[in-house]
Amino acid sequence: MNKKENRSGWGFVSIAAICILIFSFYPMLQSLITSFQSGMGVNLQFAGTTNYKRLFTDPQFLAALKNTVTYLIVQVPIMTILALFIAVLLNDNQLKFKGLFRTAIFLPCVTSLVAYSVLFKSLFAQDGIFNQFLMTLRIIQQPIQWITDPFWAKVAIIIAVTWRWTGYNMIFYLSALQNIDPSIYEAAELDGATGFTKFFRITAPLLKPIILFTTIMSTNGTLQIFDEIVNLTNGGPANATLSISQYIYNLCFKYTPNFGYAAAVSYSIVVMVGLLSFIQFKVGGDKND
Amino acid sequence: MTRTIKRLFSYLFLIIASFISVFPFYWMIVGATNQSVDITKGKLTFGLAFYDNLKNVFTTTNIAQSIVNSLFISIVTTLLAILISSAAGYGFEIFSSKARKKLFHFLLLSMMIPFAALMVPLYRLFSRLNLINNYLAIIIPAAATAFLIFFFRQNTKSFPKEIAQAARVDGLSEWKIFFRIYMPMMKSTYAAAGIITFMNVWNSYLWPLIVLQTSDKMTLPLIIGNLNSSYTPDYGMIMIAIVIATIPTALVFFIMQKSFVDGMLGSVK
Amino acid sequence: MKKILAILLAALFCVSVTSCAAKPNSPTSNTDSVSTEAGNEPTGEKQKITAWAWDQKFNIAALKEAEKIYEAENPNVDIEIVEFAQNDTIQKMNTSLSSGTTSGLPNIILIEDYRIQTFLKAYPNSFKDLTGIIKHNDYSSYKLDFMTIDGKTYGVPFDTGSAVLYYRKDIIEQAGYTEADMADLTWEKYVEIGKAVKEKTGKYMLTLDPNDVGQLRIMMQSAGTWYVKEDGTTPNLQNNAALNEGMKIYKQMVDAGIAKSISEWAQFVAGPNSGEVATVPTGCWFTPSIMAEASQSGQWKIAPIPKLGAIKESVNASNLGGSSWYVLNDVKGADVAADFLAKTFGSNNSFYEAILKNNGIISTYLPAAKTDAYNIAVDYFGGQKIYSDISNWAAKIPSVNYGLHTYAFEDIIKAEMQNVMAGTKIEDALANAQKQAEAQIQ
Repeated sequence: MNKKENRSGWGFVSIAAICILIFSFYPMLQSLITSFQSGMGVNLQFAGTTNYKRLFTDPQFLAALKNTVTYLIVQVPIMTILALFIAVLLNDNQLKFKGLFRTAIFLPCVTSLVAYSVLFKSLFAQDGIFNQFLMTLRIIQQPIQWITDPFWAKVAIIIAVTWRWTGYNMIFYLSALQNIDPSIYEAAELDGATGFTKFFRITAPLLKPIILFTTIMSTNGTLQIFDEIVNLTNGGPANATLSISQYIYNLCFKYTPNFGYAAAVSYSIVVMVGLLSFIQFKVGGDKND
Repeated sequence: MTRTIKRLFSYLFLIIASFISVFPFYWMIVGATNQSVDITKGKLTFGLAFYDNLKNVFTTTNIAQSIVNSLFISIVTTLLAILISSAAGYGFEIFSSKARKKLFHFLLLSMMIPFAALMVPLYRLFSRLNLINNYLAIIIPAAATAFLIFFFRQNTKSFPKEIAQAARVDGLSEWKIFFRIYMPMMKSTYAAAGIITFMNVWNSYLWPLIVLQTSDKMTLPLIIGNLNSSYTPDYGMIMIAIVIATIPTALVFFIMQKSFVDGMLGSVK
Repeated sequence: MKKILAILLAALFCVSVTSCAAKPNSPTSNTDSVSTEAGNEPTGEKQKITAWAWDQKFNIAALKEAEKIYEAENPNVDIEIVEFAQNDTIQKMNTSLSSGTTSGLPNIILIEDYRIQTFLKAYPNSFKDLTGIIKHNDYSSYKLDFMTIDGKTYGVPFDTGSAVLYYRKDIIEQAGYTEADMADLTWEKYVEIGKAVKEKTGKYMLTLDPNDVGQLRIMMQSAGTWYVKEDGTTPNLQNNAALNEGMKIYKQMVDAGIAKSISEWAQFVAGPNSGEVATVPTGCWFTPSIMAEASQSGQWKIAPIPKLGAIKESVNASNLGGSSWYVLNDVKGADVAADFLAKTFGSNNSFYEAILKNNGIISTYLPAAKTDAYNIAVDYFGGQKIYSDISNWAAKIPSVNYGLHTYAFEDIIKAEMQNVMAGTKIEDALANAQKQAEAQIQ
């Protein structure tokens, strides 16, 4: 790379970089400083690492951590694979009503959270449609306590999140699939490649950068999951679905505000997402040749 | 033979997935035509209250003004964000260097912190800039996001670099290559970024809530939040407002998705 | 290349540290230039006052009525009302107050009674002392105690959350009970009636939401206790007899199958509207939701809220919810704002009559309860004079100090309540809750 190109490189990235430095990193630094303080509201005192030590003995934080990691492990793989599968199905040139299917599957992430929560709660209710359906099919004998049982509430959250975000991730794959030159497939077909071989030999490797992108994004999104929890289960029953972000929110606004401790909890998320992203970059082989 | 079976399976799967996806949408639209009492009882058929609900929403809330506000903020932010972030994503990938790679990974950190932790410092910053109750306070922080930069950087990996090289030999400037060659070729990437950004800004709640102070500036999600926080929520009105709030994003999607079909057509080969 | 990053980081760090160190002193914009006597001398320019509240049909409606009255007397004052959802006002207040700026805060804000002490303690000197602007004898003590710190009263009380038992007369009668049986119930008797209702009519007695333990709040306040001791901070869970008893009753309701499990406000409203439940024990602000189902007109009645039979302090009166008005100190126009509250919410009978007639708002202003408006017979409730009944019961509500940690401790109790449902002994659950609460407030 010559000097001129290097200058151009800085030119292209500088505006965005400066914006992010001012409007994200500057507040981030301030909240890092706050995380070493403790007290309610504006009565903050320097507290050293007290907040960070408290994390390890705080039952609510530990419950939230456990739940959030559970969501991550179950949710991200299911959603990524499902989104990729649907995108590949929809990328078939001979398929009819493509636009209709695409729009339909994208709709859930547009649907307002308010509607979504009222509806999901009525579907998941004790005498809701889900239970009636499962009882009619004789899959279950007793109605499942979706929202009020610790295990099933987690399942309900995972179903709801998958429903809402699969179409969103599908968009990234669809747009990336369009950037693949169809002649590559044609050549492979002449060599007698089947659908499976085409997917694993051509589609998956070419989509690798986007798959890396969506997994990192979903990891980040899941570790910061907030909306669905608050609207569907509000963290209950007995903190069984409480997420770290909801706990941060509670510490800032629901309880007597303790911004210092809330900042420390926030940084626990930064550390986790940072580590996981680092691993994913390594595994995803993000090389710039 | 197996082809037909596969095809049938595809259709069946897509029809079921679409049905599950569209059902809440259907329920919302049905809700908009019913009275609040019937909605809470879980009525699933169309009612006769559509006109009343519509009239109530437009007479008792500031919804008309808020739609204009939301549209303005969303369109401006989306255009700005896509331009700034795509340039950065392009720069990070095409002019790859060790330093820039480090900077990129560093920028990614910015999306890893929950927004609640940034709210107080950010508010302090904007009140010093005297931008409280000003749309700039919503637009500026969203103008460059690590998320979009990352998305464009990953997609640029599939951009044929030899095309840019050929243009350089022809004497095109770097910015001209970006605007005239990269942008038209990456149409479907821009479409996806546009849809997602528009949707995120259109639906954003917490930050606009914190910085906006007066009724005339409020955005649509805030109006819905108000309707929903009443002691006796009128679900008919809420449903109408939600339907109105959903239409623009669905429309943007419908318009933009054409480019998923002809992503590569018309591009420079 | 590492150097560049290091320099960038260092520069950022310097900027943020210096700006933290150079905290601005209170902004100059918030000195109050208006003389203490607001209003009566036209200054040529209109004095603008802002007020935040939630709910168009309730709080905002009352504000608009007050605005009409006040602006007629004070033509040079302009009151601007902005609607924000309740949780949203809390987020906005916390963010603004803790960032140390008052730009963008209103003059007047409505705050839920359970939360006010947190604000008063977390942001000292942010709220105006309103001790002199209302007559304390005009309000029930239960509504003044929690907003008074060191003898200074910071608010003007507004609506009552006086708890009532809404019940379906027809269903109760089918189960073999009469109106007389429903007066002055104990919770024990209530559960017994519930069983009869379930058996004879197949209907539930009430709905319960595991994420909303309002029932426990009602039971505790009926006995004059709360999640915290008198000082407002010390956890009062382990040896709280009323809470213990309340949890016992709660478990009985669920075990007896007389409570329908719900998870959502819409389902809570749907319970009575769809005819699935025979009673709703809740705050009296629920009346419009009951009346939304026109077809059930004449079938509903209200009775005093049940009491805990095993706790001798417990009475047939309690409270759930309710809010009050507060004035911010450092926002220009604080004196005018206080004057506005004093002339309307603080003293005006005809104002209170108007908001009762138009919006069904029952206030905590005692003189208003003697006005004619409160003696209306309400057809929907079979001609019962519900407003005067509710006011009479409200006068008996025991006063408790809600203190600082209502929501934090309640979340702990909610979690322990689930353990109790799963078989943990109540004593153990409360001991555990006490430990957690103590750890939390260190």
